[in-house]
Amino acid sequence: MAGSVLCPRAARTGGTSSGTSRDPGHPGRQAGSPQCSLPAGRRRRSGRDGRKGSAGRAGSGGGMRGRQRVQHQEHREHREYREHREYREHREHREHREHREHRERGRALSAAAGALCRALPPRARPAPDTLRRARFDRPQASLDFWRLLYALLKQIHGGKWTESDAIGNLPLWDRRNKGHNNQIGFVKSALWYHGYDRPELYQLPADGSAGSRELLLAFSWMLHRLDLLEQLLARNRVRTGDETSVCTCEDDLPNIQKGTPETTPECGLEDRVDVRYLQWLNGRLRFQWQSLHAQHQEQCKLLHKIHLFTSGSRVDQVLGHFSVTETDLVRQPENYKQLLQLLESETMQLEAFLEWKQLEPVYWQWMETVLDNMAEEGNMCKSQDTHVEKRRLPKLTSCCPWADNLTGQIDRLSRDLMTLQDQLHKLVAHRKAAWCEKVKAREEELQKEGFSATARKIQERVELKLLDLTRLCAPKKYKMHGLYRLVLRSEHPASKMGFGQCVSKEPVSAVSATEVIRELRMREASLQRELEQLREECRHRLDAIAEGLDGVICISP
Amino acid sequence: MSIVTVQLGQCGNQIGHEVFCCLCSDIRGTHGLCSKKENQSYQDACKERFFWEEESGVPVARAVLVDMEPKVISQTLSMAARSGCWKYNNQSHFCQKQGSGNNWANGYSVHGPRHKESIMDLVQREAERCDRLGGFFTIMSMAGGTGSGLGAFVTQCLRDAFPASFILNHVIWPYGTGEVIVQNYNSVLTLSHLYRSSDALLVHENDVIHKICAQLMNIKQISFRDVNQVIAHQLGSVFQPVHPAEGGSNYSRNPLGDLMETLVPHPEFKMLGLRNIPQIPENSLPYSTFSWPGLIKHLRQMLIANAQMEEGIDWQVRPPPPGSSTPSSHSTKKPLHFNTSIANLVILRGKDVHSVDLGSFQDPSLYTSWLKPQDAFNAWRTPRAFNKYEKSASLVSNSQFLLKPLDSVVGKAWNMFASKAYIHQYTKFGIEEEDFLDSFTTLEQVISSYTTL
Repeated sequence: MAGSVLCPRAARTGGTSSGTSRDPGHPGRQAGSPQCSLPAGRRRRSGRDGRKGSAGRAGSGGGMRGRQRVQHQEHREHREYREHREYREHREHREHREHREHRERGRALSAAAGALCRALPPRARPAPDTLRRARFDRPQASLDFWRLLYALLKQIHGGKWTESDAIGNLPLWDRRNKGHNNQIGFVKSALWYHGYDRPELYQLPADGSAGSRELLLAFSWMLHRLDLLEQLLARNRVRTGDETSVCTCEDDLPNIQKGTPETTPECGLEDRVDVRYLQWLNGRLRFQWQSLHAQHQEQCKLLHKIHLFTSGSRVDQVLGHFSVTETDLVRQPENYKQLLQLLESETMQLEAFLEWKQLEPVYWQWMETVLDNMAEEGNMCKSQDTHVEKRRLPKLTSCCPWADNLTGQIDRLSRDLMTLQDQLHKLVAHRKAAWCEKVKAREEELQKEGFSATARKIQERVELKLLDLTRLCAPKKYKMHGLYRLVLRSEHPASKMGFGQCVSKEPVSAVSATEVIRELRMREASLQRELEQLREECRHRLDAIAEGLDGVICISP
Repeated sequence: MSIVTVQLGQCGNQIGHEVFCCLCSDIRGTHGLCSKKENQSYQDACKERFFWEEESGVPVARAVLVDMEPKVISQTLSMAARSGCWKYNNQSHFCQKQGSGNNWANGYSVHGPRHKESIMDLVQREAERCDRLGGFFTIMSMAGGTGSGLGAFVTQCLRDAFPASFILNHVIWPYGTGEVIVQNYNSVLTLSHLYRSSDALLVHENDVIHKICAQLMNIKQISFRDVNQVIAHQLGSVFQPVHPAEGGSNYSRNPLGDLMETLVPHPEFKMLGLRNIPQIPENSLPYSTFSWPGLIKHLRQMLIANAQMEEGIDWQVRPPPPGSSTPSSHSTKKPLHFNTSIANLVILRGKDVHSVDLGSFQDPSLYTSWLKPQDAFNAWRTPRAFNKYEKSASLVSNSQFLLKPLDSVVGKAWNMFASKAYIHQYTKFGIEEEDFLDSFTTLEQVISSYTTL
């Protein structure tokens, strides 16, 4: 009692009231037993084996030594047996797991494919099976795939959906149908336009009977390269009616919307057209443009009225009034069903898109396997196909007639640019030398007559010119292009009229209408200057021609 | 969409007044002969086009009245207000204390620039009142002083201020034996200036209307009012709402634009003639019936033979047989007196319009070689009858209708100019001989274009 309890010796020797019969002094006993020679992890089994072992032990006869020997041998066998069993169970477990993973992957893949298909717009929605069939290059799937690609590309390029474009409208067996070939031609030229480089696609037969795997590749390429889903979702949003299209780009390259092969005009077979007829058509175009202008102004006026009359209907900071769709709904509540349907369809697409985003990696892994397969097969049949398809471009001209024209133009442009650059360098050097001489010559003269004043004038003019140039060449801060939503904001709540602001679809940038107007006005002024310049040139050319004509008086319009 | 009417000078104001009267009485009448819904949308379309509603509910005409003298304008305003059915806006008029004495140059070079701002201010206000500006319709006479000179100037200002709008000039061709000596000078100058600024010139000839009044309407003492009423009826038959050419149940919302697009896209051919059938005295209306085939046949022959009304048509004139017109054919190959058209527009109003067969107008031999009938011919229809006529058809034609009158006016003016008669009246105010020469060349160009169709 008086001694310290913590002292082990004291506890041991002290004959305490705990009365432990166990002898802690022999730890070796536990360690020595065969059961404990195995690592801890197998103690459970060893428990079982231990029982067996003890049973075996109990069953084996013989002397002490002999019994020990047998025991050892049996222990070893048991250990091997155990190890073998464990190994086998591990392997089964692994296979089981792999199998499960495979099944899971298959499920994930079908989920991904399903999400992908649901995220596509209703008119261009394939069955998930089509993808699977295409992977195995089934010919039946190729026609479906052509149609799918056609529908998708048409939507991207903003084409109007006509009756003849409906999926499934064209009979499968009517291979010589003109519409059929036009669709395939359109797909090929559109893919070429976007830069799809695989020659095998362009060699696919024009009747759409084969090549579904190639088409699957093209489809996946489009998915990735063109941000297909995002574009389509943005395009197919339910409209608020407040949108206006803005474009401050300086791009004046023709885009594919004007050059689709299926809309080639059927001009008369005579080569010559009366110029008066062309003037007639030009005049009609001008009048139609004027009508459009008037209509557009009316729309702006009415939109402004709607915004003005419904302001205060919302508590939102940014948006205080109704949009056209909402106002229409207020006026004609029985139309809510259609709007509801559209919204539901859009929501479903968006949810499918989110799902797709999560499952996307599975899809791409699967596509990699498809690519691998194709590469293997390609290696096998490349030896057979000795014709190197260098003739890709001529093949393409059949489906996109402006293709070689465009590449020719590009080549010419680059060549021109190079020569222009050289010429500019030479000219600059030449001019510089000449100016230096001139300046030196004039300097003495001008010293006498107030050189500083003229120098200042010259400097100002040069600065102005430089400013013009820099403004022309400077990259624009932002280029607006696309649909923007108009929002009417009042500067102070008390004032009657606000100034309209533009809120873009992305929550990031909001641009004020006055800025856009300013930009557009500057662009208009520069275009006007260009027009004047071109007109002057035409006038000079006409004058030159007129002088060459005898006995003719030219009356300008 | 709305049309702003600009009434210029005495002639313009009087005719304008009659036009609005005619339109108003048409939409208030119960002779529509069509369903109530149709009638309602017709009325709404017409009201939106020409009138706006005041608080009192009386329709106010979308018009600007311009004259140098106050007399005609005040008369016009008061007559309109007295009718009770419609009125003019009391602020939308501009006049001065004294006239311009039939002097074109005075109107164009002096009064025009001086009063440009006030006049354009009025026009701007009317234009802003429209939800959608469908264009301008100016009414003027060609040979008078104020109307013509000031009118030419105002049209130019309209074009400068509204470069994207449609401008239709309604021009009254003076009597051949008119009272104003310099009317040919005035006509030449007006026409050439209008040709530059406006999109189309719709012409009514005083002589023709006079004959219609005398022979068809059986009016003994023909006053200006009668002439103006006939003109107003013909204009109304063109401008009242119609269904667009492609069909569709709504009335066209772009009358001027559609008109321009079908008839005058080519910049050299802007002269439009107007024929209307039938024209009978009002008291004979209840006793007369018409058939569409008969009306169409008469109208077609009026076009071909250049007849001005449905009496006295020369039925001998036939279109040339097919195959005789080559792209380089001259007018000598075609039978004399045959009127070649560039484009025609037929407007049908009344009962059973949809069953009318207009195939005879689509004969390619009627038209010039470089335009096919499907481009050159258009038809507008509405089942709603106009102005108590159970069936009526109008023809607006861009053809050689006005070739002869134009040629004669230019010829007479040139003769006077060659002897320099009365030129000082113009040079006094800044119109030089150069300007005269320019005008002559412009009109010679027009004449030659129309001759070689």
